[in-house]
Amino acid sequence: MVAIPVPIRSTITSAGDAGLCEPFVSALNVSGASISVFDSDGNQSTICSSNRVAARGEALQFELGEGPHWEALQTNAPVLCPDLAAEGSSRWPIFGAAALEIGMGAVFAFPMKMGAVSVGVVDLYSAEPRQLDEEQILLASSMAGRAAAPAARFATHSANSAVAAEQELAPALRREVHQATGMVQAQLDVSATDAFARLRAYAYTSGRPLADIARDVVGRHLDFSTFTD
Amino acid sequence: MDSTARETRITTAFVAVADTLTTDFDIVDLLHTLVVQCTEIVATTAGGLMLVDGDGTLQLMTSTSEAADLVELMQLAASEGPCIDCFTTGQAVSVPNIEHETSRWPAFRKAALEGGFHSAHATPLKLRGTVIGTMNLFGVNATALSERDAAVAQALADVATIGILQERLVREGNILAEQLHAALDSRIVIEQAKGMIAHSLSVDMDEAFGVLRTHARNNNLTIRDVADSISNRRLSVRRTPEGISIVSTSGGVNRQA
Repeated sequence: MVAIPVPIRSTITSAGDAGLCEPFVSALNVSGASISVFDSDGNQSTICSSNRVAARGEALQFELGEGPHWEALQTNAPVLCPDLAAEGSSRWPIFGAAALEIGMGAVFAFPMKMGAVSVGVVDLYSAEPRQLDEEQILLASSMAGRAAAPAARFATHSANSAVAAEQELAPALRREVHQATGMVQAQLDVSATDAFARLRAYAYTSGRPLADIARDVVGRHLDFSTFTD
Repeated sequence: MDSTARETRITTAFVAVADTLTTDFDIVDLLHTLVVQCTEIVATTAGGLMLVDGDGTLQLMTSTSEAADLVELMQLAASEGPCIDCFTTGQAVSVPNIEHETSRWPAFRKAALEGGFHSAHATPLKLRGTVIGTMNLFGVNATALSERDAAVAQALADVATIGILQERLVREGNILAEQLHAALDSRIVIEQAKGMIAHSLSVDMDEAFGVLRTHARNNNLTIRDVADSISNRRLSVRRTPEGISIVSTSGGVNRQA
């Protein structure tokens, strides 16, 4: 199994996000939460994460294109995995194992519905396996609905500004990843979709976060045209 | 109306006002159907429906007739009378004999009597404590609405309220989703194009953005459009002895690695 390292530091700083994550952590008594919004093409912006494990779990799903929040978006319904060790790998072959490795015991995802559309997903995790009871599921669903409009507005505003403060716990659009995609596009003379797939594959096989690979590409320490395949 | 006809009528009215999620849903049409059906079912003479606007003022949305005296009465009712009281309290207000209301609502009383109306019944449109408007029924006779009729009016108003709020949420959700899509899509395309330019010209990201912006300004295009053309290789960026050149690749190039 591929090991995906997680840098966990002793001090956890709170991100300058819209303050949307914390209420989920306290109301549902989980270990952490992250919130991402998605548009109709699957483009995403990550609003906040309550700690580094939650942030890495969210980033893993971005990198792998697999995991509970993709499932919640697709089904437009809550996704519940109370025991990741028992069922994670069968539901999400790559994410399941990687999430266990970073210290997740249970994962849950709730779509942020607004009228007929879902504008994003709230990801929750617990370090230990645990259930959410029916009342907690209802609470999380209704809180996710209420977070939908502020989260979408926050992401729209942030994407519209030429310079955005992207932080580790609130990476927003991950601009560096898209810049790196453009550089790989030019290096390999391929489409943006193909270039992004190459970056993803490189991150996966090297066992490093995609954000680190992107930084190396943008910093010109890594040039995909020098690879022979 | 005999009781069977009445029940059929009520059922039809419920179906009509609940039908808000169809593609050609028209809110004014729904409100009009509601007030017309209700007026007939509870055997009143005329009716009108008011919704609160963004400023908190009641606006007349529709009435059973466009007769000037009814419209004027409704407009007046937005500031004085059973309708505004119903809106403020969230409770139905029944006025079996308008003629008696000399002290409470003198202006409303005068206008109603001039229009030939002697009774009024205002039903709130509310959901979980939020009042979004009132449905107002007027009768030529000085009679109170029966409890049963008042309950039918309230039930129809409740169904319509859910429909109105649902439609608002759907509309707002769609607008937010569109704005989100436009913002994310533009930004991602711009960042990708910056990466392509940075690599092609060996410049940093700020300079790459400058190249995009200059070309957009000089050609009266949006930065997003220029970025999209570069990303899809309809435009190519090169450094030439004369400086930076951005040229159209005729017909577009679709190369695969």
